[in-house]
Amino acid sequence: MSAETDETAAGGLAGEMEVEAYRRLFPLAFLERHLRESVRPDARRLAEARPTTVALGAVSSAHGSALVRLGDTAMLASIKLEVMSPPAETPDQGSVAVEFHMPPICSPLVRPGRPAEAAPVISKALEDVLMSSGMLNLKELCLISGKASWVAYLDVYCLNADGSLFDAALISVVAAFTHLEIPLVSVGDDGRVFTVGGNEGKTKYELVNREKRKLTLGDIPFPLTCALHKDSILADPTAEEESIIETSVTVVLDSSGRLVSIQKPGGGVTSMATIKACIGLAKERGQKLKEILTDSVEAMEVDQAE
Amino acid sequence: MSAAAAAADTYSPAAEAGSKRRERREELRRHLAEDADWPRADGRSLHDCRPAFMQTGPTTAASGSAYAEFGKTKVIVSVFGPRESKKAMLYSDTGRLNCSVSYTTFATGIRGQGLENKEYSGMLHKALEGAVMLHTFPKTTVDVFALVLESGGSDLPIIISCASLALADAGIMMYDLVTSVSVSCLGKNVIIDPTSDEEAWQDGGLMVSYMPARKEITQLTLTGEWTDGKITNAVELCMDACSKLCEILRERLKDPASLASE
Repeated sequence: MSAETDETAAGGLAGEMEVEAYRRLFPLAFLERHLRESVRPDARRLAEARPTTVALGAVSSAHGSALVRLGDTAMLASIKLEVMSPPAETPDQGSVAVEFHMPPICSPLVRPGRPAEAAPVISKALEDVLMSSGMLNLKELCLISGKASWVAYLDVYCLNADGSLFDAALISVVAAFTHLEIPLVSVGDDGRVFTVGGNEGKTKYELVNREKRKLTLGDIPFPLTCALHKDSILADPTAEEESIIETSVTVVLDSSGRLVSIQKPGGGVTSMATIKACIGLAKERGQKLKEILTDSVEAMEVDQAE
Repeated sequence: MSAAAAAADTYSPAAEAGSKRRERREELRRHLAEDADWPRADGRSLHDCRPAFMQTGPTTAASGSAYAEFGKTKVIVSVFGPRESKKAMLYSDTGRLNCSVSYTTFATGIRGQGLENKEYSGMLHKALEGAVMLHTFPKTTVDVFALVLESGGSDLPIIISCASLALADAGIMMYDLVTSVSVSCLGKNVIIDPTSDEEAWQDGGLMVSYMPARKEITQLTLTGEWTDGKITNAVELCMDACSKLCEILRERLKDPASLASE
């Protein structure tokens, strides 16, 4: 990519260069020129997140799923329930196994056979937030105390990586859990659990979980990542912005506005005031995401009614 | 991997072991094998393909990409490059085509089952390499990565067709678009574009990858029991369906309605 633009760069005069060449050769200067005008390369304001859409039930083979688009970043989360015998320490709880995947289709930086470095980091962060936020009550995933409980295999696939992957992943996870519907099951003579199809009113089997078809979700965590460049705070950075700016802060607040997690992995030093500003932005963003999520649930219900 | 270790003592609850359900499935299979005009489970007749939905450009990070949805089967293919070959590769006058197919963990009914289709990467490569003008990008590699989001039968032919659309979207020079269609032989019937169930019941399968404009076959795989006359008919059936599918691909390339406007 540099070979073809070398000649123009040798000219040294930025004004004579094509915009696209300037963008690639001097990414930092390109960004700073924009920031001086309080605008970003994709015409957003600094504190503005990208348009976000949530589509529930994207995967028909899963018990709960959601496709989330955050600008160009696309994330597909799916929950599959399986039965396990709960460990002796927690006989009345189910469990959740979180895995975040970055398949080679999502970004030119990921090659097959060599998993992306970011994937396990995001995987762990998702698990931490999910478990500490109190959104899930693991007791609801129990079928028969001490004998059988659900394990929710939560797989998040990044389909297109364009920055703020953790944010998109967490939104898709939360949405998939709102969509999750637990199948009706009964226990056979051999002690194995099997699904019961059809109407719950008329079946000859004794149902184990007639009332527990949907999880009651507690306070839902909503994330916002901000990139910090000098005095500017850029909400919801794209991959291009992330590649230029080293410092970023990820804030997760729950739906009652309480702080769930705050992460600032390395980068330059930051003042407390900046962090507070980020939390302020995350609060606003949380409200918006809550509305988007509610809308998507309503949209799905309308779809089903038709 | 903790998830894999945990998977050992978990199981997904199967449907009630009702004998009725099994009987119904057996009946459906028998009809498919013996009746000439019995409608299939999804309402198609024997020589109907599923409606094909194809779109270019779902992955903006790639040089070119395509999404295909045939009934339950959903596939995304991204193409990267031409870009620098791996350091370990020796010098080559012609370009390289690198293909890789993977499945999501939730692609099949049972978690993680899709990982078994390891040969698909090689077969995708073989189906495409005859169509790509490798000499137009010497010393470099074009990567074709496919991800099966959901598997609903005829996965490989759909991956191949989708990959050739993605290559065209990336502007990689090709002699022609490659489209691919498979048929299953069930008893005395030959059914086109089989679903997973039909593939499981088949006596024999045939897949043809075809370049319609040049009337050339890039790949033909035949498995199971077949008789002479049937093979000829089945190949012609596939080639005809490939030509029709190619029209759809061409439409998409002329009028690339983006995924977002869906």
